[in-house]
Amino acid sequence: MSADAKIVVTGIGLATPVGVGTRTAWENLLAGLCGTTPVESFDTAAYNVHRGGEIKGFEPGPYFKTLKPESVGRASQLAVAAARMALEDAGFADGVPVDPTRCGVAMGTTSGEPREVERFDDRFLAGDLGAVGDEFMTLYPCHVIAVHVAAELGFAGSNTMIPAACAAGNYAFAHAVEELRSGRADLMVAGGADSFSRITYTGFYRLGAIAPERCQPFDRNRKGMMPGEGAAVLLLERASDAAARGAKTYAEVAGYGLTCDAHHMTAAHPEGDGAARAMSAALRSSGEKPEAISYISAHGTGTPTNDKLETSAVVKVFGEAGRHVPTSSIKSMIGHTMGAASAIEGAVCALAVAEDKVPPTIHFEEKDPECDLDCVPNEAREMRVDLAMNNAYAFGGNNASVIFRKHAP
Amino acid sequence: MDVVEIRQKVKQIIANVTNISPEEIADGASFVEDLDLDSLSLLEIGVDVDYEFKLGVPEEELAQLRTVEEAVQMAIRTLEAKGARAEVA
Amino acid sequence: MTDKTRRRVVVTGIGLLSPLGKSPAELHEALFAGANGLKEVSLFETDGLWIRRGGEIDFDPRDFLGQANFRPVDRTGRLAIVATHLALAASGWDEESRAGRELGLALGTTFGSVRTIAEFDRRAVEAGPKYAKPFEFANSVINAAAGQTAIWFGLRGTNSTVAGGAAAGLKALAYATDMVRSGRADVVLAGGAEELCFESFYGYHQTGLLAGAGPPHPQPCPIPFAAARNGFSLGEGAALLVLEEAEAATARGATILAEVLGHASAFDPSRGKDAESAAAAVGRTVALALADAGCEAASIDVLSTGANGSVVGDRYEAAGLARALGGRSAEVPVLAVKGQLGESLGASGAFQTVALLESMRRGEAPGIAGLDEVEKGLPLASATSESRRLDMRRGLVHASSFDGSACALVIERT
Repeated sequence: MSADAKIVVTGIGLATPVGVGTRTAWENLLAGLCGTTPVESFDTAAYNVHRGGEIKGFEPGPYFKTLKPESVGRASQLAVAAARMALEDAGFADGVPVDPTRCGVAMGTTSGEPREVERFDDRFLAGDLGAVGDEFMTLYPCHVIAVHVAAELGFAGSNTMIPAACAAGNYAFAHAVEELRSGRADLMVAGGADSFSRITYTGFYRLGAIAPERCQPFDRNRKGMMPGEGAAVLLLERASDAAARGAKTYAEVAGYGLTCDAHHMTAAHPEGDGAARAMSAALRSSGEKPEAISYISAHGTGTPTNDKLETSAVVKVFGEAGRHVPTSSIKSMIGHTMGAASAIEGAVCALAVAEDKVPPTIHFEEKDPECDLDCVPNEAREMRVDLAMNNAYAFGGNNASVIFRKHAP
Repeated sequence: MDVVEIRQKVKQIIANVTNISPEEIADGASFVEDLDLDSLSLLEIGVDVDYEFKLGVPEEELAQLRTVEEAVQMAIRTLEAKGARAEVA
Repeated sequence: MTDKTRRRVVVTGIGLLSPLGKSPAELHEALFAGANGLKEVSLFETDGLWIRRGGEIDFDPRDFLGQANFRPVDRTGRLAIVATHLALAASGWDEESRAGRELGLALGTTFGSVRTIAEFDRRAVEAGPKYAKPFEFANSVINAAAGQTAIWFGLRGTNSTVAGGAAAGLKALAYATDMVRSGRADVVLAGGAEELCFESFYGYHQTGLLAGAGPPHPQPCPIPFAAARNGFSLGEGAALLVLEEAEAATARGATILAEVLGHASAFDPSRGKDAESAAAAVGRTVALALADAGCEAASIDVLSTGANGSVVGDRYEAAGLARALGGRSAEVPVLAVKGQLGESLGASGAFQTVALLESMRRGEAPGIAGLDEVEKGLPLASATSESRRLDMRRGLVHASSFDGSACALVIERT
């Protein structure tokens, strides 16, 4: 197999707080819809924040043909939904016509299925541990998300789960690219998923990181992030195979860079070192120069620190010109969906490249001199997008940048 | 519980979080300048002190603590205000 | 197919902490002597449980790293850090030599720490969210141990956590092999870490899959491939192997312990529920690994199995190995370390690999301690409790998660 084989996106599935369904979610993101709402899945009375990016009224049933949706956890349900959408979008509504042993799954997550831990803990605290059955160990270990996707789709090739926290989706994309380039797979579904949970909400609340009203990336008065949930899956294949079957392609996955700050568990490197190296590595692996990048999908959590550091990392790599590269954060609309975030943002980049439109950063009111960049404030923009860079940074110092490129078949 | 005990417990909490032995923690030590603590460690200490003495202080008050002695005084103040120098189990 | 332009990947150092020792030599000697690392659990209360034994490790990270501050690091992180320290020391990657480089890390784990995330949650529920512990939240993410390890040793290259149950550690090795082989990295530490804790111990206890835990609660027999086996025991530990590009490793004067020839990964869509599908997945994985390595079955001298006493799992593995290796699987020595180490999930694939390597390097194949009688009809005639001496050059490691995710690795001593 050729290590230089072009890898393309031929299917996209999205389950987000602004819509479950690729077209719906994308159009709502372009419309600047805000999907962060009062939290309903658990009682936030004891907290001083009460809003997040929950997916309300999610019905997993329609996406399940093999497994029973109630037999898997919520993150798995979201992942399966997105995977099923991606498969159908790629033209495989009746199942894959290629050898299922050559079809693989690569997923990312931050927490796996934390509601299973919550269920265990509730029983623990109630003195009711005897009620714990086999569900805890069969539904909780995070690799089950990739297992459930593969079992649902009937994919018998490689099966990989990379829980690289808030950068996990990008790690999954990178792995899928390598599976295809090496010739170990002909088709890969790759992405990320995370469910809303009191554990995740409590954690970010405890760090003082959650914004009370809205998520305002790059804004001078930004107050923090908002936990969210969701899933995105891309169907990837070698461009030659996609062309042979006449598939529509959204974009090429041009390259990626994965680095580690090795600095602190929850705080990014103060000079954005790992972030900058990831961007540079992605550019190198794509064979592109910074000036070729048309759009950046920022990590943009909306915390005072992240957005400032991210801006300086961009300038480090792109020079002052980086301040003029449209750089938006969809976290302004859907919150921080954890392991799904960079997967959803990757889908956004593929769509941006395919349709020459970029989503806005909403809730933007006042420029922060320390975040002096073009954050595509409040309104989506129609513009030529030849290359879109997707940046993600995680706890543990995991950084990942993935570049999507316009693909001429 | 008297001041000496409170101070001891606060220092033990700091020791638990930082691995600096209580004897090496000066009463007036500043968390950042003298003990070189990062924000996550400071947060952990604040939570542990609040939990240990069941203070229930507002977040903002915890966030303003700069030195060991300030933490001790906050504990004393809060416990006095609650009218309890309760035995801690 | 083999791509001749692929770079060669070698092992230059190993570090580990296991219930049977803290070095490859100690581990091997204990396995060869038939020692058992399972003991009465002291890390947590086992009152009221049917099972009270596990592969618990008594260790203090300060014995290895001095009086450093381990408070912000949980047990899984500490296991990973100690094993990494030992691996870096063994391979000669000291602080100075690491400074200008971007060493990578691929760490297999199933839970990271389910204990940390559960305790974080319980404190918040009981006392209120404002009393949830920040350090615990930082360690509640599944990639925490990998992150802590990177911070400790300045590992700034690609840092990936690979989940996958009992296959995770092997998958991490495969992942790292691929990174080095393709030129995306020059040096990557790979392996796995998993802790013993109440949450997972109790959780598996409640599945009835732990030996002796399910009714009618017989005497536990977590002996791989045994006719009398009735489930697995849990263990803990960490093992890291330093993988490097062969020419550069030789140029820097590193000790070359082995070469990773190939790997593969596949999935059983029945998730371990259908015997035929499960065995086929194992067989496919092994066959693909051999093909990736450019090897014939006949060239495999020894097997390092993931068998842990699980009634169906061990059977699937034996059947799958026979499919892919034909008669060879009945001829060569069979290592099955989990009977003596316990099932350490994310770490186990790495332990299996290290045990295999040491066996090959010394020409000593440990038997499977306590294996009185192999299950009748199991196509693994060479499985025996007898440790023996023989020349072995090339080996195959296999591991599958309980729910159908399989991985295999082909490795050769140098």
